[in-house]
Amino acid sequence: MNQKVKFTGILGTAAVIAAMIGILAGCATFAEKPKPAMVPTERGMVVFLEKYEFKQPPAGWALMKNVEGGDFELGFLRMEKGDFPSQTTFMYDDLPYGGQRDLEKRAQYYCTRFLFNSGIDLRVTQREKMQIIGLDAVAISMEGENPNRKEKAKSKVYLAKKGNRIISFVCTQWRPLNGTYGQEAFDHFEAFVQSFKFLKKDFYETFEEELTKAGL
Amino acid sequence: MEAHNRDLYLYKRLSTQVLGVSMDDPITLKHFSESLVLEFPIISNQLPWMGMAYGAYRDKPPFLPDGTPNWFGRRTVIVDKGGIIRYLKDGSPDNKEILNFLLNLEKEFRGKK
Repeated sequence: MNQKVKFTGILGTAAVIAAMIGILAGCATFAEKPKPAMVPTERGMVVFLEKYEFKQPPAGWALMKNVEGGDFELGFLRMEKGDFPSQTTFMYDDLPYGGQRDLEKRAQYYCTRFLFNSGIDLRVTQREKMQIIGLDAVAISMEGENPNRKEKAKSKVYLAKKGNRIISFVCTQWRPLNGTYGQEAFDHFEAFVQSFKFLKKDFYETFEEELTKAGL
Repeated sequence: MEAHNRDLYLYKRLSTQVLGVSMDDPITLKHFSESLVLEFPIISNQLPWMGMAYGAYRDKPPFLPDGTPNWFGRRTVIVDKGGIIRYLKDGSPDNKEILNFLLNLEKEFRGKK
């Protein structure tokens, strides 16, 4: 009697396992493939997560994307010839350092925080007001060295006023102290920035609309 | 702190006051606040009764890298207009979540009026 009960139990378990395998197999068959982060367009651009459109840098630049919140929305990295740290990164960062909503004040503060943790003694080599992608902006060029770590960096930053907030585009090239900076990477950065389009309202624009709708 | 500073104009529309609490002394906090150009108050609570009251104080690990206990954990607390704690979260604040939470809270408050 006991054996019979036990036998039935085993069969029952097997049936459940078979059913689960069937369900899982079904998932595997019908599950949508994850969409690629960047989709090429007919105009030679790429669309990133249906949020932004821009000119993608050529092969050799790796996409950096933010998966768990953090310091930037998206960017590209290229490891370059030469001793460490020969590399260039550029990115779109929608939450640049600081809280000021005035562009000039934000730019002033930003320069006190940018690359702060790297120990680079950074100096502003050029700063000018301009317009990029139809937005009021400040362009800041910076260079600096860290003699202790025998490295140096050169950066170009655009801070731009978008609605009530300030966004940024940042390019930084790293070299050993005796290395030479290259212009080509900065040209790709400029093409990225000048081609950048916002395809959707961002969280803050939508949120502000909700506040207005709620009478707040 | 910077993130809260960035969102102050939204907090204002949501009738929300941001208040930082730290175990550091007032002079340290003054320098900290000035260096980040913070536009909301930070209060010094060296005898950490606030941390204890809100559950952010701990006398056990995790420890800081130098081995000292991390007495005051990072905790976000939202207190509503009736003085009731409505939101508690440890770690780095999720500002978008906080803003959405405050919007719902404000709608709820207005609905009761």
